[in-house]
Amino acid sequence: MSLSFLLSLAFVQHAFYAVTAVSIASGAVGYFVVLRRQAFAAHAIGHVGFAGAAGAVLLGLSPVVGLLGFCLLAGVLIGLGGATLSDRDAVVGVTLTAALGLGVLFISLYSGYADATYSILFGQILGVTWGDVILVAGVSLVVVAALSLIYRPLLFVSVDPSSAQARGLSERTLSLIFMSLLALTTVVAIQIVGVLLVFSLLVAPAAAAEQLTNRPWRALALSGAIALVSSWLGLFFAVWWGGPVSFWITALVSGTYVGARGRDAWRARQRATRVA
Amino acid sequence: MSVIDFRDASVARGGRLIWREANLTVEPGSISVVLGPNGAGKSTLLEAVLGLVPLSHGSLRVFDEPPARGNARVGYLPQTRRDHDLRISAREYVGLGFDGTRFGWGRDTSTKTRAVRDALALAGATAFADRPLYALSGGQRQRVALAHASVFRPALLLLDEPLAALDLAAQGEIVDLINLFRDTTGAAVVVVAHDLNPLAPIVDQVLWIARRQVRSGPLDDVVNEAVLSELYGHAIEIVVTPRGRRVIVGLEEEFAHPHPHPHPPTGSRARTTAGRVGDHADEEAHAHFAEYFEGDA
Repeated sequence: MSLSFLLSLAFVQHAFYAVTAVSIASGAVGYFVVLRRQAFAAHAIGHVGFAGAAGAVLLGLSPVVGLLGFCLLAGVLIGLGGATLSDRDAVVGVTLTAALGLGVLFISLYSGYADATYSILFGQILGVTWGDVILVAGVSLVVVAALSLIYRPLLFVSVDPSSAQARGLSERTLSLIFMSLLALTTVVAIQIVGVLLVFSLLVAPAAAAEQLTNRPWRALALSGAIALVSSWLGLFFAVWWGGPVSFWITALVSGTYVGARGRDAWRARQRATRVA
Repeated sequence: MSVIDFRDASVARGGRLIWREANLTVEPGSISVVLGPNGAGKSTLLEAVLGLVPLSHGSLRVFDEPPARGNARVGYLPQTRRDHDLRISAREYVGLGFDGTRFGWGRDTSTKTRAVRDALALAGATAFADRPLYALSGGQRQRVALAHASVFRPALLLLDEPLAALDLAAQGEIVDLINLFRDTTGAAVVVVAHDLNPLAPIVDQVLWIARRQVRSGPLDDVVNEAVLSELYGHAIEIVVTPRGRRVIVGLEEEFAHPHPHPHPPTGSRARTTAGRVGDHADEEAHAHFAEYFEGDA
């Protein structure tokens, strides 16, 4: 079985197109997730999506419909959040709990084959159809375009909310837009790596990128690049050596993060020795 | 034309009166210091000028216009920031002060690059401009924050507690910097502070807020025993040390009531309590009791 044969298979090609789109969008959105300390919110939205997908399957709809509906609703609720950090954390926690409760109910009511549930939890990258590719690419394009438009105001309000408000920006509006973009990205990322591993594309690449540069747009681009290269390699390893794609992707992005932290620590030590 | 003009101005927040009937102006190129107990409404005064908090009564003009958010002539350094926690470089942060409200990716135009470089140079922050904010000292971060607030050359700069949490040497450096900024740009500066002494050498006007009233004027017209005693409703003594530093005795009596609660109020609780300062000390004490009784019920 040659490499060229593997890469000529339609399902492998679909997978490559899908991860390319998803990785760029998640890497870029992920930079703001890390900058805004919203990892918990990102985590919650993924799990809320699980409940939505289970509900859609129960009603005989496509899981994507349920994912989209629930994730967007959760994004808006979390975006409205509250005035204090503890309010916002509590809103995330309550939204998460309520949705997971519904998810449990939907699964218990569903008597069919549990395959759909499994693929939502762990991803189904090698099962994406041409239609999925178009959906994923379209959503990713919308996310990246919207993020490009609000990049500077979102960055300003994320790093200095009080002075951004005084300068005329609306923290609430930007937060709502961002949470909606996060929800959309989560929906497509779930297609690839699943609910449980959505962090591998949304948080780990951005966290690694933040260690490597202190210029925001570089960190954002680097985050997208780390996500993209990890996904490509993960997909390739899975096809070539076997093993789940999700495993390879998570291993690669986590490894990159550890490497970035190691580099940071090593450089700090170099500086210390130079001074001493 | 005054930069700021409050006339019979009152502010209420959440139905509670913060201060009332303030009459004061801030002139171009002047440095004003806002003093008063915690929760008296010092930051609220800045927020009113920024258009973030509406007046409940009276009028306020900023550059002869009603106050509005996003006024391009007003720079603001907020007290609570998250710059201690950011991996972004000082230069990038100051750049956001220049064009952070605009949409799109934006490019580093030569105008922006020059404005950022000049602001960092004026703030004495060039040497650490490319280091991430979290790695800077408190004094260095304060310099960067000043550059961030002033990079678009505002004609009015509002600074909320720029000296808080700095040691004496760093306080002195920031005070010199505020003076330098005023002299270089001709902007009016309003500084909220909790200690008059570091700022006394450069101050043109003092705004003192206590017991819902605002007194303003040249330093010696406000910071004297007669005015402060009348403002606080009890005797205030001012002792001047041989080096000319003022020690103001009696201000703390406002908070000297024994607390019925085992823990002293902190944070927002303290602000709330102080915001309720009564006309008499006894009323204040009652307010404490009432609030904690409600809180514990």
